[in-house]
Amino acid sequence: MTITLYNYVLSGNCYKIRLLASLLDINYETIAVDFHPGQEHKSKALLKLNPAGTLPILVTDGHVFTETKDMLTWLAQHHDQSNTWWPANNSDQLTRVVQWLEFSSRLSATIGELRLNSMLNKAIDVEAAKHGSKICLRELESHLTEQRIKGIQWLSGDNPTVADVACFPYTALSPDAGIEHDDYPSIRSWLHALRSLDNFLTMPGIHELHELKSTQKISP
Amino acid sequence: MSTEPIGLARDLAPKGVMRAQVGQTDLAIWRSTNGVVSAWENRCPHRGMRLSHGFVRGESLACAYHGWHYDCSGKCNYIPAHPELEPPSTIRPNIYSVVEQAGILWVNTVADAKPVSLPNDLIALRSITLDCNLPSAIDAFKAAAKVDAALFNGTVTELSQHPKILSLESPSGANGIVILFQQPHPKSVVAHLLAKDVYQTNELVAVSRWCESVRHKAEQQ
Ligand code: FES
Repeated sequence: MTITLYNYVLSGNCYKIRLLASLLDINYETIAVDFHPGQEHKSKALLKLNPAGTLPILVTDGHVFTETKDMLTWLAQHHDQSNTWWPANNSDQLTRVVQWLEFSSRLSATIGELRLNSMLNKAIDVEAAKHGSKICLRELESHLTEQRIKGIQWLSGDNPTVADVACFPYTALSPDAGIEHDDYPSIRSWLHALRSLDNFLTMPGIHELHELKSTQKISP
Repeated sequence: MSTEPIGLARDLAPKGVMRAQVGQTDLAIWRSTNGVVSAWENRCPHRGMRLSHGFVRGESLACAYHGWHYDCSGKCNYIPAHPELEPPSTIRPNIYSVVEQAGILWVNTVADAKPVSLPNDLIALRSITLDCNLPSAIDAFKAAAKVDAALFNGTVTELSQHPKILSLESPSGANGIVILFQQPHPKSVVAHLLAKDVYQTNELVAVSRWCESVRHKAEQQ
């Protein structure tokens, strides 16, 4: 079964899909979409695929997904042998996963928009987006602090899930939008933990943590 | 400037880098893979970029910009553009004194870091940033402690005479919290909370939430 991702490399939402695919070792193809400056996502061909004119779009045999959360859910349901990234057998945890998946939309609507404003000059209400971003980050910080006090590392429980993947990109990319992580120690620890996972994938603005082998030996 | 609390030791894991402001000094604080904490001026000796954007590579901090490496003593030990070069020992950032005590990281930018002495039955709970000035923050915590005295088993007494420490205890001394205030900027305060080790997990969560309601009030003044 082929999986095709219509992708823009600087998009935090597209990155969510690439990140989960990498963490779960899923094979897929990408089609690069010229989001900026080409506005290709609003082209006739892509509007036919996704009338909402948004990215990413994920096409698999028989399905066209246009909502990031659904793509994450579907990928985990079908490609995670461990059944932990979408914890279908743990209804309590699953409820929390759904809650934090919803929360991830608020991150996109605040930090994501602010970042588009900083990077691509998108016209938005900057003050409202800054305020909204701060409220979201404080909520996330508060939850992760309580989790840490209870000895729980991830958003919904003892293992990372699609909710962590969904909330990670715009939180990690907030410096692109002018919001540093200095005031959010529990968020910093959580970002660090996610970046430490096996098969973690980077994107511009999100670097890897592990040792650079090249620093041990660089050929002249 | 006395010794400042800048965060919980547990919030800076091995390979972690954070930024802190003490007085006029912008700092990069990092923990090596083996756990050694360093506090340096947040300025790379190469071109002055922020070291707090750097990466920990074993026992060195690598600047994010051109990859110069500095070991825990601050000595530059690797320049990627000139891998064969032994960097001169004079290339080093300004280094400050940092110690870990009572679960808190303490920094002094002018002399040796000497933490204030605290009772040894405290556990470091969390750091929280408030967008207000120092008097508003302290007043809000004092006022809230009287209203929400249930957290302290009834009535609350204030113990500390230190201007940037608030120590709240039940009359028996069994329950209580200590709040260390740090003021990175005139309009921003970081409260580092420590709680007596008698609290249960759900009570600690309640204290953590309580801080957020205090912040809400402090920021409205
Ligand atoms: S500024 Fe740090 S290596 Fe160049």
